[in-house]
Amino acid sequence: MRRWVPVAIGAGIVVWVVALALLAVTTRDTQGFVKLQPWILMVNAAGVLTLLAVLAGRFIELLRDRRRHVPGSQLRTQSVLMLSGLVLAPLLLVFTFSVLFLTRGIDSWFHVEVRQGLTDALGLSRAALDLRMREYLARTERIAEDLEFEYSAGLFAALDDHRRLADAEELSVVSAGGRVEAYSASNLVEGLPPPPPEEALLQARRGESFVSLDPIASGGYAIRAAVPIGAESSLQGRRVLVAMYPVPQRLADLAEAVQSAYQQYGRLSYLREPLKISFVLTLSLVLLMALLAAVYGAFFFSDRLVQPVQDLIGATRAVAKGDFDTRVPRASRDEIGYLVTSFNEMTQRLARARAEADASRHAVENERTSLAVILARLSTGVVSLGHDLAIRVANHAAGDILGADLQARAGESLASVAEGQPLVAQFLGAVRPHLEAGQMEWREQFTLRADSGRRELMCACTALPGEGGELPGVVLVFDDITQLLQAQREAAWGEVARRLAHEIKNPLTPIQLSAERVRRRLLGGLAERDAELLDRATHTIVQQVEAMKQMVNAFSDYARAPAIELASTDLNRLVREAADLYHAQDARVNFELQLDPDGATIEADRGRVRQVLNNLLTNSLEALEGRDRPVVTISTRRIAMAGGSCVELTVQDNGPGFQRELAGQVFDPYVTSKPKGTGLGLAIVRKIVEEHGGRIEAENGPAGGALVRIWLPVDEASRGTVGPRGVRKQEPRREHA
Amino acid sequence: MLSLGALLAGAALAAEPRFEIRNAFTEPVAGVWHLNANIELSLSEDARGALAEGIPLTLVLDIELTGERRFLPDEDVAELQQRWQLAYDPLSDRYVVTNENSGEQATYAGQEEALAALARIRNLPLIDADLLKDGRRHEVSIRATVEIGGLPEAVKMLVFWRDWSRATDWYTWSIKP
Repeated sequence: MRRWVPVAIGAGIVVWVVALALLAVTTRDTQGFVKLQPWILMVNAAGVLTLLAVLAGRFIELLRDRRRHVPGSQLRTQSVLMLSGLVLAPLLLVFTFSVLFLTRGIDSWFHVEVRQGLTDALGLSRAALDLRMREYLARTERIAEDLEFEYSAGLFAALDDHRRLADAEELSVVSAGGRVEAYSASNLVEGLPPPPPEEALLQARRGESFVSLDPIASGGYAIRAAVPIGAESSLQGRRVLVAMYPVPQRLADLAEAVQSAYQQYGRLSYLREPLKISFVLTLSLVLLMALLAAVYGAFFFSDRLVQPVQDLIGATRAVAKGDFDTRVPRASRDEIGYLVTSFNEMTQRLARARAEADASRHAVENERTSLAVILARLSTGVVSLGHDLAIRVANHAAGDILGADLQARAGESLASVAEGQPLVAQFLGAVRPHLEAGQMEWREQFTLRADSGRRELMCACTALPGEGGELPGVVLVFDDITQLLQAQREAAWGEVARRLAHEIKNPLTPIQLSAERVRRRLLGGLAERDAELLDRATHTIVQQVEAMKQMVNAFSDYARAPAIELASTDLNRLVREAADLYHAQDARVNFELQLDPDGATIEADRGRVRQVLNNLLTNSLEALEGRDRPVVTISTRRIAMAGGSCVELTVQDNGPGFQRELAGQVFDPYVTSKPKGTGLGLAIVRKIVEEHGGRIEAENGPAGGALVRIWLPVDEASRGTVGPRGVRKQEPRREHA
Repeated sequence: MLSLGALLAGAALAAEPRFEIRNAFTEPVAGVWHLNANIELSLSEDARGALAEGIPLTLVLDIELTGERRFLPDEDVAELQQRWQLAYDPLSDRYVVTNENSGEQATYAGQEEALAALARIRNLPLIDADLLKDGRRHEVSIRATVEIGGLPEAVKMLVFWRDWSRATDWYTWSIKP
């Protein structure tokens, strides 16, 4: 409820009480308040109307709340009815008794005996005055007899004498025409004496004596008598003697007192019924006001009682919906107020706890996000496993190294993921023994064998605490160190090659020269058999030295790493030239070229790329020796990547393919399955490819035969995208499809 | 409660007897304009009862005299009020009519005679003839009010639904000295 309403109602009640008090004052006829009476009545009426309007509004509001099942409406109804009933009963009791008391009291004031007593007292007063009036009338009649024959000057003197003798106030003789002939008064007045009443003169002229008791303007009474003087005269008409006698003071006072009481009683008697109604109405007004004020009070107190409960209900619902900022205003300092304070403290604590939980969650989420970013950018594989080997978390690099999308299969057991995934199966085979043995902290290097070669992994395992009551798991961090090992091996082989070239090549020339000198010196002087032997021996020496020179030169080439000179190179053209050259060498071999029709131009050192093709085709031709329908398939295709483009070059033959035991080592120097091979051909190929920022893989094709795949970046900008496993990260697609 | 009051007031109004100014005129007598008027003054039974119980009755005569002016509002020349009181004196069993302005008093044996005397206004001095401009048109308006008096104002307010006072319409005529 709005705050000003109780204040206005309170002020109205104060005004009303003051108005009632003033109303009570006005009944004592205090003149100052009499003027205020209409306003006082209006204030009362306005108070009643205002209270009625306010209460009607409150009742309608209460009924509406009950119909809508607003919380607290029933409690409010009960409290209003109870408080109203508590006030109504005594009020009605007081009202009934008051009305009865008033009406019966007023009736008792006007009891018949009282009126009769006053009437009797008045009659007694009249009787006493009548006696006096008759006496004065008789006295006046005697004077009239004496004055029958008195006229003019004698009349005045006689009138004066009689007035003194009769104790009259005044005596006057009025002629038949109404003119005062003579006048005598104890107190003379200026001017003409006031004329006697017409009524008295008329009666006297008719021959009848007249006597009356006249109230005097100045207060008190006088007895007036009018008596005809003598017999009626036809000439002059009948004169009238008019006499005024004072009423004795004692008698006048008593009579006045009786009359005053009688008049007062008469007035009150006249006002009896109106007064009764008035008092009952006033009382009803007071009762109504009190009743309405009480009912309003009941509403007011029920509001004070129920409002905090309603607030608490609303706030509880809000809290249930998660709004912990809800606060209930504390309206009082009683138990309800204590409850409200406790509720507010509880919601404050809840809000604080939720804020802390939110902050913690945000921190955890931030950390997880950071961790996810870090994991995603790591080239190191990270896999978190539960106690049941279920994958909790795996980063992209892990899936890349193990050749399976581990992120997509989070939640699944690593054993189920390993089905159909040979690398994952080998990884599991290496990891499981440790875990089954209860080893949670270990570090180990192991080798995975794939069709494309061996992969050396360095794997570290660390225990993870269990979350939410789960058993502890492990986190496996592993890195593909194949490249690293390869680089180390290459560095070692490079050093070996350099030393071989240096140490072996130097003595070869003297050996060859010595052998030729021996042959030249001795060949002519020896017998035919010896000469033939010498010739054969020296020839063999020279031949083998030459072979060794070639071998040393090959090692020298491997160890040497001159700067490459990049230039725009049409790979398709180089492929065609190489195919033509080798087809000319061995027309038996069929070269199938599947070259990208959109071109395969790359930035590369043309000579070195040609050497790559030569080495690969040499290997293929050597592998195809003795084969029926030898076929070498060479293909190029351009692949678009996220950070650039590359060209994929594949060379496949239908020969015996790589030996299984050499898988993963075919690019190592001096690893060959050929009886005459140096084992440097593929090593040099890979070195050239890696110098160009490319990548190479060797495996056996689906239908057998060796399959070598090379990815070379088309330009400098694309170099970073091709590197180790770079191509696999992207879904290849044809450009200019 | 209010409806009860309205009912009582309605009943009082329904029984209203006639109260009006029957006729009135002014005449110059010895250089003074005098007023004569006859009032139709009939009292209700309730008022007669109140009178008989000793509650006095007051007749108030409001008199206004205005002078006509061209282009300007009329000039208030004179305004006076005369009050008479009619009361029953139970001891003498007479009705006393008192002029409250002059203090003159007359008594009557019966209520009717007293009311007749009250309703008959004769030779009431109004204004000195010299104060009226010759040839100018003047208007005299009178209105009579009869009140049941002698009761405390508080009592009147308590019994507020009673018609304690009645007034006639203004009675207006013109004179031209």
